[in-house]
Amino acid sequence: MSFWPICLAMLAVTFGSRLTGLLVRMRLPPFWLRFLHFVPIAVFAALITPSLEGSRGEGGIRFAAAGLAGVVAWRTRHLALTIAVGLAAFWLLRLL
Amino acid sequence: MRFRHGFRAMMPLWLGVAPFALAYAVLARDAGLSIVETQALSLLVFAGSAQVSAVGLFGRGVGGLEIVLTTFLLNVRHVLYGMSLGRVVPMTKRERLIGAYLLTDEAYGVSVARGARSFPFVLGTEVSLFLVWNVTTLVGALVGGVIPDPERLGVDFVFPVAFLALLVPLLRLKVDVAVALVAGVAAWLLAKWLPGGVPVLGAGVSGAFLGAWLTR
Repeated sequence: MSFWPICLAMLAVTFGSRLTGLLVRMRLPPFWLRFLHFVPIAVFAALITPSLEGSRGEGGIRFAAAGLAGVVAWRTRHLALTIAVGLAAFWLLRLL
Repeated sequence: MRFRHGFRAMMPLWLGVAPFALAYAVLARDAGLSIVETQALSLLVFAGSAQVSAVGLFGRGVGGLEIVLTTFLLNVRHVLYGMSLGRVVPMTKRERLIGAYLLTDEAYGVSVARGARSFPFVLGTEVSLFLVWNVTTLVGALVGGVIPDPERLGVDFVFPVAFLALLVPLLRLKVDVAVALVAGVAAWLLAKWLPGGVPVLGAGVSGAFLGAWLTR
């Protein structure tokens, strides 16, 4: 198996995807401007749910810890604090 | 909003990224990749889930075309990030090239959530992640040994919680909450059948479409 041609092709499709969006500079109609406004909300939600449950049967305590982290995020809007509380809650609930 | 602010804003995510890179490097070495090859994927492709999938396929002797197609499927969601980020952050041609090379879920997320309007901030978040990913890859490739399991340590939980922290402040109106709920449920369902990046693209596009349609 030849590593380097595959590695370069992986670079091409990955960099290509990353660059394509950044190079789009059309004037967009209002509908598509609103579409782009909602992209972060939809994408963040889509990045959360598939990895929330985990694959070790800890769904219950992970949901509980995420719920607590959500409250911290809502009250403080602080990334590091939210992660710290979420992780600490998860580890504590695991011990119980 | 300078480079160092972006760099620091990403640091809470290091705890989730480092064990993931370590696991990737050990898997890559087990799959028969050399230290240089293991590091090359982190330096040149710099896409966590695609790298892990690729070395799994390498190890099974799967053909190159399948590896490249899987990489494309897992990474095509970045088109969406580029369009969204390019709208709010002014960039020169050269900045677009560098910014695109280092673009990740996390850098996009932190930049947009923090309301980045300057390229140096975006670059700071990107370089922050690139450095920790590559240094930890090197450590894992050199030391090898037992594969660390991020899920057993519980540190994989950093990712959903981080994106939850980025999402919550964006939920100002009812329509925002509706979009998040629909996209979240859609991604959760799609993830049962499709590999990593595809549910994000599918749910991201349909959620944003719903939002644009609801606010017409």
